[in-house]
Amino acid sequence: MTALVELDHRCPLATDGEIAAVNLESARRRTWARFAQDPRLPGVAEAIVYFENLAVQFLGELDALDRLDTLALQFSCADNSFRAALVQAEVASGAHCFADARDHLSRAASLGAPCDEIERHLLSIDQACGMNLDAVLAARRRIATASGRLEDLVPLGAVLADLDRFAEAALVYRRAFSSYGDVSPFPLAWVCFQLGKLWGEFVCEPKPDLAALWYQRAIAYLPAYVKARVHLAEIYASQGQFVEAEALLMPIALSRDPEVQWRLADVLIAQGQIEEAETQLEAARLGFEDLLGRHMLAFVDHAAELYAGSGNDRRRALELARLNAANRPTRRAIKQVRAIEAKSNEAIAAANLRKTRPAGMPA
Amino acid sequence: MSDHVDGPRQIGDPPADITDLFAFTSPENPTRTVLAMDVFPSAGESAAFSNVIDHRIAVRRVTVAGIGNAAKFQPADDEIRFSVRFDTLKRDEITGNVIQRGVCTLPDGRKLSFTVNDEKGASTPDGDVRVFAGLRSDPFYLAWIAATLEKIPNLLQHDNVLCIVFEFDTRRMLDPANGSLFGAIAETVPTEPPSAISQLPARIDWVGRPEQTNARLNNPAMFGVDDLRDLWNQQTPFEISKELQPLFLQRLKDSLVNWDMHDGKADWTPEALAANANVFLDDFLLFDVAKPITDQSHLEIEKSTIDGRPYQTGGGRTVDANSIDILFTWLVNRDREFLQGGATGATKPGMKVFPYFATPNNEIQAVAESVELAATPDEVWSLIGQFDSAWHPLVARIRLTGTGVGQLRTIEMRDGKEIIERLEVIDNARRFYRYTLVAGIPASHYTGTLEVTPKGGGCIFDWRLQFLANNRPDGAVRRMVSPLLKAGLESLRSRFGAAT
Repeated sequence: MTALVELDHRCPLATDGEIAAVNLESARRRTWARFAQDPRLPGVAEAIVYFENLAVQFLGELDALDRLDTLALQFSCADNSFRAALVQAEVASGAHCFADARDHLSRAASLGAPCDEIERHLLSIDQACGMNLDAVLAARRRIATASGRLEDLVPLGAVLADLDRFAEAALVYRRAFSSYGDVSPFPLAWVCFQLGKLWGEFVCEPKPDLAALWYQRAIAYLPAYVKARVHLAEIYASQGQFVEAEALLMPIALSRDPEVQWRLADVLIAQGQIEEAETQLEAARLGFEDLLGRHMLAFVDHAAELYAGSGNDRRRALELARLNAANRPTRRAIKQVRAIEAKSNEAIAAANLRKTRPAGMPA
Repeated sequence: MSDHVDGPRQIGDPPADITDLFAFTSPENPTRTVLAMDVFPSAGESAAFSNVIDHRIAVRRVTVAGIGNAAKFQPADDEIRFSVRFDTLKRDEITGNVIQRGVCTLPDGRKLSFTVNDEKGASTPDGDVRVFAGLRSDPFYLAWIAATLEKIPNLLQHDNVLCIVFEFDTRRMLDPANGSLFGAIAETVPTEPPSAISQLPARIDWVGRPEQTNARLNNPAMFGVDDLRDLWNQQTPFEISKELQPLFLQRLKDSLVNWDMHDGKADWTPEALAANANVFLDDFLLFDVAKPITDQSHLEIEKSTIDGRPYQTGGGRTVDANSIDILFTWLVNRDREFLQGGATGATKPGMKVFPYFATPNNEIQAVAESVELAATPDEVWSLIGQFDSAWHPLVARIRLTGTGVGQLRTIEMRDGKEIIERLEVIDNARRFYRYTLVAGIPASHYTGTLEVTPKGGGCIFDWRLQFLANNRPDGAVRRMVSPLLKAGLESLRSRFGAAT
């Protein structure tokens, strides 16, 4: 499949990304104010979860996870119905505390939460944990076929990708993209990002140019999309386009997502700016450790990547990767553990070789 | 609530969500008519209009085609249409502030440019049309739990919306000599059609009379029925799909029966109820520019016509119309006894001068902190549950004036500042108290709540504040009070230990 065929679709219209980001912040703050007026107002706690999750997913506002913890705690104090248990489940699930999320869902069910709500949450948890994927696929297919909505098609594409059915996943994602009929840029940026990841990371033979085009589209929809900028910068850096990579990362250098500082450090190292790179790398390390202290399971896989790479602490990387695989034994999590183990073994072998090699013998 | 948050598509993109539509005679000049639409429920102070949506108000001339149980309002085919499109955000070169501009297309094709939030709006060169767009106080108020008709405070207190106002010369624009009764709708439509394979229609939301979606089609007291709101929002205004009309009509009838029985009394005969459903199925806001439109005249045209007599007022809907109570009274007891909800007005009344909608409310600021402690609720409450307990590390001493609820505490802070607070509620059994600010912090409507609730073998301590900043930026007051909460929680964590 060529890039031209892949991108041969008119981009659906969407509200300007800057307006959408401003409005997200506006709605988020206002909804918190309503929650303060009365935490039990119908739909308000749930709307906060929705807005805060958007802020995490797209704008890299990782402090939102702390705010969500506060919300779950306060809502559970104010409301003893299934609503609070469902909110707690969603917050726990968002922080990858899946066992806690399942407990909250059991409680929500016993308090009379609608079955379809419970099932929807359980489906997401199973998918995130790589469990019962065939059943998840069947359910996702049924839901997506019934609604035809982007919001249901993207999770279907994701489970297909998890099952290595990449061509089908790409088709589903493209259908989601082309069939979108509303004007919010968030869903469109999301599906573009998923297609970028599919072609750039998931497929057996990655197509970085194609992935880059989808990431560019995601950023065109939402210039503040932190993860899309980070992934695109990685591709640029891998192709030696360090100036372009740096230009992508600098506008988000103050982001709360330490992955930005980490990738910026890599780009600076490649350009010989070692001192500034060290500063960024230290900021990334501190940022990840801070996040791990507060939301260990949510960031354990990304932190493992940092330490396996320029963070240069394989033992810590392996410890974190194993923790992640124990929490959510997906194929990618297990692959990450194996890759770090292999790197560690190589490093040990190389060190042993250096020890046994007589002085002065060329390596 | 009116048309706020009336379906999944609207929730996904709040600036496309129409909350209300208004039609009234200008309080400034009786020869002019005002049409207005609001979008973006609970808009924050930085909210902006979408740049890819046409915001339209369409008006058609209407005739009374039947009265009594055959009541019918027949719209003409011709449409008078006002449309507004907004730009992306720009930075003002002089002030550096973010601004948004828009262009209004008038029914005769003329264009009128304006800047969002400019109080003066923009006028055509000969002054026959004025336009305003920007953030305003939400004029709608809902003070009922609709499912049970329990009175509550206004659910939209302090809320703002994005508002678009068209004011025009009635004679020139509507030519009432050819008929003075009109029906209006507001709609939000993408500026380009969605992709060819999208199953969704181009329109995102539309509104005629208030509460068509959230109270009549999706009656909150009817359980286990399908949510028809998205389907309704996808209909073409003035031309509801013939195939779907029976579905919507049946839902309206079922819903109106349910509303009628809210007070346990049947005030509607089946025939009159069917006539009411038929009138509501033709969903447009009726107004007659030859008759007086007042705060009380909303729905009078429909009601009189169904009752079999000529209507007396211009109907319409003013900024201050109590539209929800007028509607509920009509549906529940057919105007036998007025049903007044828990509020008699919106956060702010409308203005008598252009742009007629009240200035936006300050944003209520909320600051909240919680901590899980390794101590029983009683242990923690015994420390903090006295109104004069100086447990906080930044507090030097506290003096009490009076006793019980209403007593004042004067707090002397370690830095010399003085804060005075009044006890409003205390419940030792539930371990919480609420207080308000009297003096010492530049804020109004300031309420604090401290609460201790059990969790496992320990407890949760929760401290919440809400306030409106007085003459200072919101952030400045937040920065003043947030450290107070954090220091207080930290001291409790040190004293009792954090729950693990």
